[in-house]
Amino acid sequence: MKWLDKYKVIHPKLEKETDYPHWAISLTSTLLNRTGTWRIFRPLYQDQIPPCNNECPTNEKIQGYCDLVKQAKFAEAYKLILEDNPFPAITGRVCYHPCENSCNRKDYDDAIAIHCVERFIGDWGLKNVALAKPKVKNKKTVAIVGSGPAGMAAAYYLGLEGYQVTIFEKQTKLGGMLRYGIPAYRLPKAVLDTELKKLIKLGMKSKTKCAVGKDITIDYLRKNYDYVIICHGAHKNRPLGVPNDKAKGVISGLEFLSQINSGKKPKIGKKVAVIGGGNTAIDAARSCLRLGLKPMILYRRTRLEMPAVPDEVDACEAEGIRIEFLVAPVKVLATKKGKVTGIELMRMKLGKPDASGRRRPVPVARSNFKIKLNAIITAIGEQVDLSILTPDIQKTEWGVKVDRLGKTNITNVYAIGDCVTGPKTVVEALGAGKRTAFQIIGATEKIISKTDKPVKFTDLNLDYFEHQDKTKIPEISVAARKKNFKEVHTGYNKEMVLKESERCFSCGVCNKCDNCFVLCPDLSVIKDNGEYEFDYDYCKGCGVCAHECPRNAITMIEESKVEEQ
Amino acid sequence: MKKVITGNHAVSYGAQLARTQVISAYPITPQTQVVELLSEFCASGKLKAKFIKVESEHSAMTACIAASLTGVRTFTATSAHGLALMHEMLHWAAGARTPVVMANINRAMGPGWSVWTDQNDSLSQRDTGWIQLYCESNQEVLDTTIQAFKIAEKLLLPVMVILDAFVLSHTSEQVDLPEQSVVDQFLPRFELKTKLDLSHPSAYGGLTNPDHYFEIRYKIQKAHEQALAVIKSVNDEFNELFGRKYGVIEAYRCDDAKVILVTSGTITSTARVVIDTMREQGRKVGLLKQKLFRPTPTEQLREVLFKAQKIAVIDRNISFGHSGVFAQEIKSSLYGLAGAPPVFDYIIGLGGRDVTPDAIYEIIDNTFKTDVPNEPIIWRGVRL
Repeated sequence: MKWLDKYKVIHPKLEKETDYPHWAISLTSTLLNRTGTWRIFRPLYQDQIPPCNNECPTNEKIQGYCDLVKQAKFAEAYKLILEDNPFPAITGRVCYHPCENSCNRKDYDDAIAIHCVERFIGDWGLKNVALAKPKVKNKKTVAIVGSGPAGMAAAYYLGLEGYQVTIFEKQTKLGGMLRYGIPAYRLPKAVLDTELKKLIKLGMKSKTKCAVGKDITIDYLRKNYDYVIICHGAHKNRPLGVPNDKAKGVISGLEFLSQINSGKKPKIGKKVAVIGGGNTAIDAARSCLRLGLKPMILYRRTRLEMPAVPDEVDACEAEGIRIEFLVAPVKVLATKKGKVTGIELMRMKLGKPDASGRRRPVPVARSNFKIKLNAIITAIGEQVDLSILTPDIQKTEWGVKVDRLGKTNITNVYAIGDCVTGPKTVVEALGAGKRTAFQIIGATEKIISKTDKPVKFTDLNLDYFEHQDKTKIPEISVAARKKNFKEVHTGYNKEMVLKESERCFSCGVCNKCDNCFVLCPDLSVIKDNGEYEFDYDYCKGCGVCAHECPRNAITMIEESKVEEQ
Repeated sequence: MKKVITGNHAVSYGAQLARTQVISAYPITPQTQVVELLSEFCASGKLKAKFIKVESEHSAMTACIAASLTGVRTFTATSAHGLALMHEMLHWAAGARTPVVMANINRAMGPGWSVWTDQNDSLSQRDTGWIQLYCESNQEVLDTTIQAFKIAEKLLLPVMVILDAFVLSHTSEQVDLPEQSVVDQFLPRFELKTKLDLSHPSAYGGLTNPDHYFEIRYKIQKAHEQALAVIKSVNDEFNELFGRKYGVIEAYRCDDAKVILVTSGTITSTARVVIDTMREQGRKVGLLKQKLFRPTPTEQLREVLFKAQKIAVIDRNISFGHSGVFAQEIKSSLYGLAGAPPVFDYIIGLGGRDVTPDAIYEIIDNTFKTDVPNEPIIWRGVRL
């Protein structure tokens, strides 16, 4: 019992009243009494997974960078994002932000505008942080087929480890769907070009105007490179499948956008119908408006079933574009020479849910009607061009067949992005690219799986949070958007980003708020160098710290189960 | 500086001039104005104190005890049911020897619900170990509040300053507000010898077995016994600086009195007028104002009362099943003295029913006319 010596005291003799203290005060130090032995439950500082991090397809440490932004540590925040996503200036603009949909704050007042924080940091980093160079040298070679987000992410993380990466791109410039699919009012080309410099700095080579499957074969790549990553996307247009669907004046949405994004002005008539309810349809319609055309959207289900990002649909309507719901094309109307004059439509109603969980549109009998048009843009989904693949690569119904980490049935051949999943999102492609790169590098510990136990809204102690509305996202007026492709959202400034990040609950992650330290009735939270530690000699395990932790970063476990932990 | 203020605000100014450092209170009619003004003082910076908001009087007293144990000057105020809710903590405050000062506005206990004055709330707390001082005027309220801190800190006992609901609490009178510098001279910052100290953690108020409990209780009683001398010296010192004194009791025209009337609180000032009238009529009557209720000023009471032939006690309270509380105290003080005068216990004015000069006149007159009290309680003003 050596520790006892420290507190050794000679007990005064209490022989008469005057020997006593003036009230009931212990005569020896209470440090002698190691009340920690009474404990049945033990508090542990144990960070949990915030829902935003969990939902992000690139596993960005969102809570982490919001915390750094709160402290105005922008460079650190930027570096933290780059661990998981090399291109925050892009995702900050175009990501459909599943993080915000899962944000616990949405149940309190409004989700954090995470994408705006990300965009600010992304832009700040491009201006202020030097581009990364390869960390090591590596002789292994990698061929990447397609320069969209999946390929870009893979190239970045492989490049960091010194892999010799060559990207093959069919188009004249790099970027894939980011360049040719997404209009400049959402992602200015200059931002994309600046982000692409990161890959050049890492020594990536590129072969543009080189269509794999035509100019060069997958077989050739397999023979000449150590690894092949197929990520050529899903660009094949799906025809309407109604009479006259190849009439003059019918154009695919992607083709239309690609022309605009290549700097051309598509020659189409003034009154345009865009058919479809996805992001391509919205992008095409909003682009029409900017070209001075008169677009409308025709969609066979309702707003609720639209696959497009709700914010984009809102913006579309704000710009005055009419969306006609519950209509499906029956026939394209055309002149004898095959020039579009209109479309015959049929009213639909919603039936039982289909495989996607959305209610299936069912035709309403004798509801046909016609509208006059000069052009039709089809945006009813894109398909993967599987013709470029060698026959030995296994395929699914819609794309290349791979395992969870992008491996095909052929050793050292990977496939990622839309060519695997069908048309999906930028962020999912980035995530897939990163995971495949980690797989090739052998950094499998960095490949994070989603947890089914992220911090829930009900896990938080809301007594410690004040209501605060989302910081308004600045944008240019509807009038200012006419006939140009100026970026609609102008982004947060420093003041706004500090204010918005301050709203983050920091779910499940200790952000040193001092609550446990202040409220521990046994003074058993010790603060050392800014870090907390429990003094288990005296902690009685009352659980006040865990209960009062605003963000659920303290867990109580039974003493008998401590060993298991 | 002279100012016309209510009794409640006299309390607030007293606590402010005493440079109270921590205030924790919960509002209750008729006390609310006391803490209202104090919170304004805190907000404006006139008083540099921490105002701790709480959800109940029990917590208010708990906060005061804890604050006081760290060695800061601590104040609260309450009334009636609020005081009753504090009951457990009143024992604690005295048992932990904390010099907390509290103003209690005498209000009748419910039910029936009442906001008007009587003394049952504070007298019910007789045995908690608190010093109790009853006040007659707003000036006395202010002066007593300032003195209460000094008494409490010298004895390490909590002190209750008591004033009548509405008759004082909400009635404005001219009050002489002393200069801060003089109050500072009278009441310098105090140092608690044994206070909560993080670097020397000890157990405070913990389990105390039969081997030790008794001695600590003995010390509380000894402190109460010292209180009479301490209160007197504090009073004298106050008188020197401010020119006003109150004593633990006050004997008014008692020297040759055959009947002495015993009063407390504001009934005293009404009684003074009646005594003067009766003296003019040639009747030998005196008045004893009992300001200090706990500890009981037995010697002082005996000295004055023993000379009279009869004693009439006005009790604006009742200890159910016995009699008026002040009368019991007076009887007990005189017990064992050969030839002690008989004590007439008049219970009057419960729940704030008015106690008029005529009623007091009749009480004294009745005492003159009656040899010995025929019943333990003589009811006045109750519809029988």
